[in-house]
Amino acid sequence: MAAQTPNNVTDYYKHLSLFWTDIIHLMASKPQALTSIGPMRAFTANSKRISTEMVEINEKLLDFNKYLTEYYKQLSETWTDAQKKVNLKAPKVPQDVEQIDAFKRIWIDIFDNDFTELFDSKKFGENYGKLVSKELELTKHWSNIANVILQSVNLPSKEEIDEVYKEVHSLKKRVTKLELELKKRGKRVAK
Amino acid sequence: MQSESRVDPKIIEEILKFSKNVIEAPKLVSAPDEISLEVTPHDVVQEIDKTRLLHYRAQTDKQHKTPLLISYALINRYHILDIHPQKSWVRNLLEQGFDVYMLDWGTPSNIDKYLDFDDYVNGYLDSCVEYVKNESSSEQVSLQGYCTGATLATVYASLHRENVRNFIATAPVIDGWRDTTVISNLAKHVDVDKMVRIIGNMPPEFMYYCFSVLKPFEQGIEKYVNFFKNIDNPKFVDNFLRVEKWLSDTPPIPGELFKQWIKDIYQENLLIQNRMGVGGSHVDLKKIDMPIFTQVAVGDHLVSPECSMPLHYAVGSQDKTLRVYPTGHVGMIASSLSQKKVLPELGQWLAERSN
Repeated sequence: MAAQTPNNVTDYYKHLSLFWTDIIHLMASKPQALTSIGPMRAFTANSKRISTEMVEINEKLLDFNKYLTEYYKQLSETWTDAQKKVNLKAPKVPQDVEQIDAFKRIWIDIFDNDFTELFDSKKFGENYGKLVSKELELTKHWSNIANVILQSVNLPSKEEIDEVYKEVHSLKKRVTKLELELKKRGKRVAK
Repeated sequence: MQSESRVDPKIIEEILKFSKNVIEAPKLVSAPDEISLEVTPHDVVQEIDKTRLLHYRAQTDKQHKTPLLISYALINRYHILDIHPQKSWVRNLLEQGFDVYMLDWGTPSNIDKYLDFDDYVNGYLDSCVEYVKNESSSEQVSLQGYCTGATLATVYASLHRENVRNFIATAPVIDGWRDTTVISNLAKHVDVDKMVRIIGNMPPEFMYYCFSVLKPFEQGIEKYVNFFKNIDNPKFVDNFLRVEKWLSDTPPIPGELFKQWIKDIYQENLLIQNRMGVGGSHVDLKKIDMPIFTQVAVGDHLVSPECSMPLHYAVGSQDKTLRVYPTGHVGMIASSLSQKKVLPELGQWLAERSN
């Protein structure tokens, strides 16, 4: 079967990496099955997942860096603009003992106003939202890699722990409802 | 020709004095860790999961009949309402003869990630109200909520109006679309589903980020310059360190609660439109028909007045009062102004409706 033509360089390297990971995995499966015992059995079985995650992390890092660059660009442009405004006002500050305080007040007011305007803007909000989103996706990949390692030593994954939390939460709710019901019945009997 | 630049000797003097203050600061001032934020004596009368109900010890011989339960915010801790003997919200109310209880939400951990509005309002808050009613042999309580705690209290007052005699909403987060703060801008653009799915509870670091974009230069530079300038003023320093310590300690917020918070209040703005649902019940602000006292601050950069004031107009109460104070979010509850103006007005209003 012919390989699909990759769209860009990233896709090409992703394909290349997956191809060799898969082939090596297939070629090594027999000796691996024979030699892997104990915790390494689960780890070797899932090791392919780690390389897939690493490839995807690289992809996400590109996006993350794009939004991070934009984030710092916005901060630095605002800083430059604010500093220009301060420079225009600075010569008007009287040369006396109050000079430092007056200059500081002007500097802080202008910088606070300009940065608040930035933080309040749609362009900042949108970019910040995307930056956080990419950061979360990176966290997710790290978490997936950690899960592979955890499973290799028979420890529960994050998803499995989450299931337990959910179950505990639901049980607690049911117990609270039952306790309330008992209290109400107790009151009715007392009457 | 040589140019001559002159610097006013007083400027040099100022710089030297400031440097001396910085060097001497550790000798004059306690480290924040050494300061206890527990001010007014109280007893922990109920503990459910991580939450605690605090009962402050009476400071007057006679007390008003209806007890007051304070629902503190989800951000930072309840200490700000009792931050300093001279600026304590709680102590002032005790001295005015009120029987004061405080709900401390505690520190949620990973196991609490599925706690939601229903658990907080119909679970924890309701059980505290029931406890206070039983303990004080009172059929109803006065309920005060501060900031996000006021939003929870608003939902409670709508769903359990039979338990609330008077409702005090202090800087409540109500109308997310009208909120003009930078926090609302960030909240509107965050993919909260993804955040909760991947990291569970809202981490404190996210909240610290939000604090850092609020007047970053005033709060990040000027505030600390003033601290060192006033290092030999014990009152100023004590108050500064207490507030700083309080600011630097915020617990995580349970994931599901945070998700519902951001989506229902900031993104879809359901509460003010009477479209929010909690625990299978519909939250209708018109059902809030008890006396209500809404307090907002014009300089509030965490919850803008435009976000809080719609509550006053949306409730069904006939007896309603709106007060706007010339201060900020914290200034309204922990300042000289709160002691001289905000609390006496609240005390008078509440006393008239508490016996």
